[in-house]
Parts: sequence; structure tokens; C-alpha cells
Amino acid sequence: MAIAATAGHGHGHGDPHHIGLVIEHPGPAPKRVVTGFGFWIFLLSDIVMFSCFFAAYAVLLGQTADGPKGAELFDQRNVAIETVCLLLSSFTCGMASIAADVRNRLWFYLAMAATGVLGLIFLALEFREFAALVARGAGPTRSAFLTAFFTLVGCHGLHVTAGILWLLTMMAQVFAKGFRADIMRRLLCFALFWHALDIIWVAVFSVVYLLGSTP
Amino acid sequence: MLGKLTWSAIPFDQPIPLVAGGVVIVALLAVLIWVVVKGHLPYLWREWITSVDHKRIGVMYVLLASVMFLRGGSDAILMRIQQAIAYQSQGYLPPEHYNQIFSAHGTIMIFFVAMPFVIGLMNLVVPLQLGVRDVAFPTLNSVGFWLTATGALLVNLSLVIGEFARTGWLAFPPLSGLVYSPGVGVDYYAWSLQISGVGTLVAGINLVTTVLKLRTRGMNYLRMPMFCWTTLASSLLMVAAFPILTATLAMLLLDRYLGFHFFTNEAGGNVMIFMNLIWAWGHPEVYILVLPAFGIFSEVVSTFSGKPLFGYRSMVLATMAICVISFMVWLHHFFTMGAGPDVNAIFGIASMIIAIPTGVKIYNWLFTMYGGRIRFTTPMLWSVGFMVTFIIGGLTGVLVAVPPADFILHNSMFLVAHFHNVIIGGVLFGAFAGFTYWFPKAFGFRLDERWGKAAFWCTFIGFYVTFIPLYAAGMLGMTRRMQHYDVAVWRPWMIVAVIGMAILTMAVVCQVVQLVVSIRNRESLRDRTGDPWDGRSLEWATSSPPPVFNFAISPDVRGEDAYWEMKAKARQQQFAHAQPEYQDIEMPRNSPTGFVCAFFASIMGFALIWHIWWMVILGLIGAWATFVVFAWRDHDEYVIPAADVARIDRANIEERRNLVSLAGSV
Amino acid sequence: MSELSDHSDTSFAPGDEGEHDVGARVLGYVIGLALALLLTATSFFVAGTTLVWQPSIPVALIVLAIAQMGVHLVFFLHITTGPDNTNNVLALAFGLFIVFLVVGGSVWIMSHLNQNMPPMDQIMRMQ
Ligand code: HEM
Ligand SMILES: [Cu+2]
Repeated sequence: MAIAATAGHGHGHGDPHHIGLVIEHPGPAPKRVVTGFGFWIFLLSDIVMFSCFFAAYAVLLGQTADGPKGAELFDQRNVAIETVCLLLSSFTCGMASIAADVRNRLWFYLAMAATGVLGLIFLALEFREFAALVARGAGPTRSAFLTAFFTLVGCHGLHVTAGILWLLTMMAQVFAKGFRADIMRRLLCFALFWHALDIIWVAVFSVVYLLGSTP
Repeated sequence: MLGKLTWSAIPFDQPIPLVAGGVVIVALLAVLIWVVVKGHLPYLWREWITSVDHKRIGVMYVLLASVMFLRGGSDAILMRIQQAIAYQSQGYLPPEHYNQIFSAHGTIMIFFVAMPFVIGLMNLVVPLQLGVRDVAFPTLNSVGFWLTATGALLVNLSLVIGEFARTGWLAFPPLSGLVYSPGVGVDYYAWSLQISGVGTLVAGINLVTTVLKLRTRGMNYLRMPMFCWTTLASSLLMVAAFPILTATLAMLLLDRYLGFHFFTNEAGGNVMIFMNLIWAWGHPEVYILVLPAFGIFSEVVSTFSGKPLFGYRSMVLATMAICVISFMVWLHHFFTMGAGPDVNAIFGIASMIIAIPTGVKIYNWLFTMYGGRIRFTTPMLWSVGFMVTFIIGGLTGVLVAVPPADFILHNSMFLVAHFHNVIIGGVLFGAFAGFTYWFPKAFGFRLDERWGKAAFWCTFIGFYVTFIPLYAAGMLGMTRRMQHYDVAVWRPWMIVAVIGMAILTMAVVCQVVQLVVSIRNRESLRDRTGDPWDGRSLEWATSSPPPVFNFAISPDVRGEDAYWEMKAKARQQQFAHAQPEYQDIEMPRNSPTGFVCAFFASIMGFALIWHIWWMVILGLIGAWATFVVFAWRDHDEYVIPAADVARIDRANIEERRNLVSLAGSV
Repeated sequence: MSELSDHSDTSFAPGDEGEHDVGARVLGYVIGLALALLLTATSFFVAGTTLVWQPSIPVALIVLAIAQMGVHLVFFLHITTGPDNTNNVLALAFGLFIVFLVVGGSVWIMSHLNQNMPPMDQIMRMQ
């Protein structure tokens, strides 16, 4: 136990405001906590960035410039499948974390591969949706509404793409170096990233696709 | 092959930027050749460019800020002269050129002077004050610095290749859209801010994590020096606000590059989204700048009054209150743009509320000085000058925060005077106070007091002579950013302002002379003890300059003003404490990652600006490869053996003992 | 869970769970997944149905979304309100507060702006 409760013995200056009990700070946190926390802060900043795109989408929702509205464009079934892919991938990503913690390489590779494949299916579905929209003349330059839609959803898609690149790098790193402490820290960050993308997707499908297509 | 880049991008027909750019390039080449010929290159590469030491990075940030300050200052001189002579005439700067100058001036001063200056000081000092050996992510820290430098490089490149934005420092659409700004100016602006914005975000994350997770033993939250608190608040704001800037500029760039319709006048775009989002970043930004300055003044005032900071807890509370409230006032920048009375009233009141915690701080500083034995050194002069000046700026701020008043004052010279009043009187004075206060810590010798005081007085007087006339001109109806004008009553004020500008120029000269003189006389100004000011916080507990590892033994903190108490105890015990047990210390290895990343980012940014797509891809792949290579390395730390640590530390303790016994014998 | 030291009882990395055996941890993810799927299904059902009072749908969707984000935070990111998680939770609260201000503030401000000063093309259409 590094916490020492020093109740005023010896160094009276420790408690200038006479609160009685001062819990001494134990010193710098271990590296895993520091890294994880730093990445957590980064994720929050990323979420703030997304919130701007959400705000723009909410404001521009009605600005269709006499073009197609959300209700005419969105295919709920496609979105549902995309969502299931991401939810499952979050689950497999969790399994990968557990496998890494118990140093089980086989399960780790399997779970990471499953995560990657589910991510790729998601991206393929999204790409198909985008391509279809552009093909029918509802690309991002058609109206401010579509501009906001493509930017918001596309930004999430770009994050997933980056996540998959990262995932592959992590698999390669574990393959080459094993479950070293620094690699475990990166895995922690990767898992945080992947789960955070899922949370953003929850907002995307609720706000963009479901709310965006209610009349 | 080269996108939009042709020979016509080089402004052969415009002598001013060409000559200025030429001089800069020649100067840079001269420095480079000198460095290479003298054989300093390996040293620079090993000890500075690839350094991940927070102190070195902090110094480089401040150096970048100082150099860019000269560039931004030159712009200011050009503009003041133009407005002094452009009464019923075109002056000497054509409009398209004048517009580039005021845009570059604002952009450079905020992003590449004020930001790197405060980030540099935080980097240098905060780990020392917290009693730790480095920031949370040393290599990322270096990446952040070099990305900031990349942004600065791109802005300055626009001087000789192409042009800069003519839109003002915030590039409002539709003026900044493709229709009205078809050139590369806005692209220079946006990409350099995107790249340096990543750097700022990294710095913010790093500092938040450092303060929250890396404090030394016993450094409880309520024992942290005030500067650490303001650093925490400021970096929290960086982390929360800069993504907004990134997103907003991304939307602008999408409009410009891919024909999107966020801010266009067709297809349902809405320029007010830009206004709204940019100010949701913009107001927190001004507090990102000024909060660290508040921290510096707290340290300086308490040290030179020889007293603990008055009302420490209320100060902490005020800092965190400002951190939160600064996010709730952004609409006051566009009161006049039609949000209506309800919205305006609420944001007006919120804006005035922010003056309350600021007022609390002013009183705390005053009461800290009250009854103290004050030493009016240069840093202290800056602090007192700040209190006077900042109160005026805050008052005019509250004035423009009253919506009906703002309808008259918005975008007038009065506004220009307001924000220079708070930014010069607050941020710049703070930066200079911190610079003179911590210079001995960074380099081991003090700055010359005579020239320092001369610089202060010139800045102080020059500031008032320059900017009080702008308040007057604003109330006489002069709007901001005028290339010429026909109203006779404004003329005298512009002439007074240019005189003020001359005094401010003298102030800068004094600063340069101060530096040169101090370097010359460094032996007589040497700080041997590490504690030249009789300081109170932990940065003074180690030698000047500190060893790479900062502290041989991690300090154990027992109260506020940690070092003050250690000194008191040491005097009592006549340094009788036992010989400490030294241990091996692990430090992060230097890494070229930051520099290489920034190299590729520069290439990518330049290519994006000129639509050279193959080069963009090259830059992207390069940056990615750098990252993977970095991730792949096996050893990122090296060990300093206990014997070395002991040798370095004992030498320092010896110096200190001499000092204390000397002081005792007098 | 490699480098636990004597500090681990005062702070936790976000995303780390306390010490549980593998079975319990897998079960956590299974529960999380089940709840998430359930909430997602409800959202999609609510959005498409005509069975409920129509004006309540947007509110319901938002509530469901927030609930699901909570589920993700607890079961996937292991953010709890325990004392060891204080910093993580505080940071999250700060972030969410900013998100709320940015989105809420923007929507509120922009609706007033649009009312008082409609965008260019709306003015055109009115004429
Ligand atoms: C008591 C605190 C303050 C209040 C109530 C306040 C209020 C305002 C208001 C209402 C405006 C907009 C006026 C207009 O556009 O018509 C403004 C502009 C500005 N303020 Fe302040 N302010 C305060 C402190 C500060 C501080 C501390 C800084 C910087 C460190 C600052 C920097 C600026 C800048 C840069 C602008 C103008 C930006 C532009 O339009 O280009 N203000 N302030
Ligand atoms: Cu403001």
C-alpha cells in the first residue's frame, strides 16, 4: 500500500488548511495507466470532432435543395446489417483482449482476424451504399444535406479503415514480438479505439439513418 | 505533374514579399552553412532535433515563437505605416497585398507565436514543477513540436511561392470559398493550421496526462503550483477545442477541394455554420492562451513577494471555472448576425460572468503582493504591468459583451484594441515574464536586468501609445481591416498609433540586445545554485540547467510551496540529512520520429496546397512508414548509471550548501 | 494485466477490468453484446413502426441511443463509477459536456439564426 494517511505528525505544513487527513499522492502512475489515459483523452477529442459533424448534419438535415431526402435514400436493412457487423466486431475485439491477457496466441489471432473481417464487411457495405447513392445522382455535391451525410458517415468509415490498418499492424507486432508490455499497452489502446468507434456508430445509425429518415 | 504549381506562382512582380522572402532564405542558408561548416550539425541533430527531452523541446517551441514573432511584428509595422499614410490615398500597399498581410499577421501571432510560446513554457516547466523526469509521452511531444514547425514553415512558404489568404485570420466563408478565393492562399492557411493543429492536440493530450498521472510522491492536487493548474485547464481546453477547429477547417477544405456544400451559397449550404463552429473553438482558444499566462503571473508574483499565493484554493476554483465557462460564450463573436434577443442575452450574460473568476484572480495577486517584501525584477515588472493593462482589456471585453453596445463596436477598431489589449497585455506579457523568470533554469544564467527593464518599459508605453488611439478611432466609427480611408478625424489617431509602433519596435530591439548582452556576460550572470530567485516550487530544487533526468531522487512533497519548505527544513538541519541512495535511472531514447514525420507532413501539405496528388500519396506513405518503424523498435530507453547520477547530484548539492552558508554568514 | 504495481489500487487504465477469471470476463462481453443487440433492434423497430405515437419516436430513439452508449461504456470499455476510475469518468464527463454544448448550442443558435436570417437560397425561394 503506497497510500499513507499522514494525520499531522511531523510535518504540520502538509495540511495548511487543517482538514485533518491528507492522503498522500502515491507518485507517478504505472505506464499502462498513463498510456491508456492519454489515449482515452485522445478519444474524447475525437468524439468532440465528430460532434461538429453531427451538429452540421442536424442543422443541414432539411437543406436538400429540392433533391432526395433521407427517407428516400436510406436502406434500413443495409444499416441494420452494418450495425450487427460492428457490434459483433466489438465482441470479438473484447475476446482478443482477453486472449492477449491470458497469452493465448491462437485465440488472439482468431479473434483479431474476426474483428478485421467484420470491419471489412462493414466497410464494403458502406462503400456499396455510397457508390449506389453517387450513381443515382445523390452524391455529396448534390445538396448540403448530402454533403453533411457523406462527411459524417464517411468520417466514421475512415476511422474504421484506420482501425483495420492498426489491427493488422498489431497482429504483425504480436506475431513478431509476442505479448510484450509495450505491445499490451498498444493493444489496450487499439481496443479502446475500436469500441469507441462502435459508440460513435450507435449515434450515427440513430441520428443519421433512423432520425434522419423520420418524416 | 506539378498540379497548379507554375513559375507564375513566384511573385516576381511584387518586390516586398520577394525581397522579404529572399532575405529570409539568404539568412536561413547562411545559418545553415555556418552550422555545417562549424561542424555543429551532428550536435544539433543529436541534442536538439531528435531530442525527446521536455526541456529541449520547450526551448525549441519558444525559439520558434520568437522567430515567428519577428515575422508577425514586421507585418504589424507594415500595416500601421499603411494606415498612417493611406488617408485619401492608396498608401504603399495594394489591397490584395494588404489583405494578405493582416491575415498572415493574425494567423502567425495566434498560432505560431502565442501558442508555441505558452506550450513551450509549459513543456519546459511543468514536469519540473511536478517533480517528474519527463512528460507522459516524450516522443509524441517531439512529434507535436515538429508538426507545429511544419505549419509555420508552410505559412512562410506562401510568401515566396504563391500567396497567402486574404480572408482574415479566421477565413470566413463565402469569402474563403472557392468562388471568391480561387487561389492557393486559403489552402496555405487551412493546411498549415490542420497540420499544426494536430501538433497542438498532441501537446494538449501530453500535458493533461502528465499533470493528472505523473505527479511525484506527495504532490496532491491541492499542492500543485498554480502554473500546473492553469496548464491543466489550458490543455483540457486544447484537447476539447482543437478538434472543433479541425472539423471546421475540414468542412471548408471539402467545400474547396471536392465541391461540397457546407458553406456555399448554393444547394442549401449555410455560412453561419462556419461562424458558429469556428467561434466554438475561437473563444476557448483565447483562454488556452491566457490561462497559462495567469499561471506564470501567479508564480512570479508569489516568488517576488516572498509569500505564498493568496487564496490558492479560490485561484484553483477560478481557473477551473474559466475552463468550463469559456466554452459557453462563443456567440458573443457574432451577436450582430441575427441570432435574436433571447440568444444574445444569454450569451451576453455568460460572457460577463467570465469576468468574475478573472476578477478573483486579480484580487488574489494583489493580496499576495500586499504586505510582501516585493522585489521589482523584470518578471515582476511584466506581472504588474499585466495587471494594469489586462484590467482595461477585460473591461472593454465586458463592454463588447453587452449586445447593444456590440452592435456599434463590432468589427471596429475598438474591437481590435480590445483583443490586442488582452492578448498583448495578458498573453505576451505573461510569455515575457515566464521567459525572463525561467530563462536561468533553462540555460544556467540570468538575463540582463537593465535591458530587460528597458524592454518592459518600451513595450508597456508603446502598447498604450499604439492601442489607446485604436479605441478612439473605433469609437469614431473606423472599421477594422481598412486598406485606405477618407475620414479626416481618424488620421491623427493612426499617426499616434504608428509612433507607438515605433516604440514597440524599440522594445523588440531591447529584447534582442538583452539576449546578446546576457550571453556575452553569462559568466557574471551564472546561476550556480539552481535557485536564482529564491523560488518556492520544485523546478528550483534542481540545478540550472537541470540534468536530463531532472531530479536525481524523486522529490517527496509534503505541502504547498514544496521547495520553500525543503529549503526551510534544510536550513534548520544544516544539510545534516543522510546521503541519499542513488539508483540507475531509465530515460527515453532520442528519436528522429518527430522530425521525419514533420518532413513528410510538410511534403504532404505542400502537395495538397498545389494539388500535386502523387506527392500527397508519397507523403502519406512516408508518414505511415515512419510510424510503423517507430512502433517496431525494441529499445526506447537507456540507463544512466547510479554513479553518474550521484556525481551530478553531489556537485549541485555542494553549490547549494555554499550558497546557504554564505547567506548565513552575511 | 501485466505490470500491476502498488499503484493499481488508486488508478486504472480506461478499458482495463479488475481481476476476473476468463469466464466472468467473457460473460461480461456476452451480456454487453446481448443488451446492445436488443437495444439496436428496439431502435430499428421503433423507427419503422406505426404502433406508437409518432411524435414520441425521436425522443425514444435518442433515449435508446444513449442507453446503448451506456451499455457499451460499461460492458466493453469497462468504465465504472468506482473510485479507481475517477479520472477516467471525470474526463469522460468533461468530454460529454463539450459534446453537449457543441451539438446543443449549435442546433439552438442555428435555429434562431435561420429564423431571423434565413440562408440565401431560402430568401430566393421566398421571393
Ligand atoms: C472579461 C473577459 C472577456 C470578455 C467579456 C470578452 C468579450 C469579447 C467579445 C464580446 C468579443 C467580440 C466583439 C465583437 O466581435 O464585436 C471579443 C473579441 C475578442 N476577444 Fe475578448 N473578451 C474577454 C477576454 C478576452 C481575452 C482574455 C482574450 C485573449 C487572450 C480575448 C481575445 C479576443 C479576441 C482575439 C477577439 C476578436 C477576434 C476577432 O474578431 O478577430 N478576449 N471579446
Ligand atoms: Cu470571445
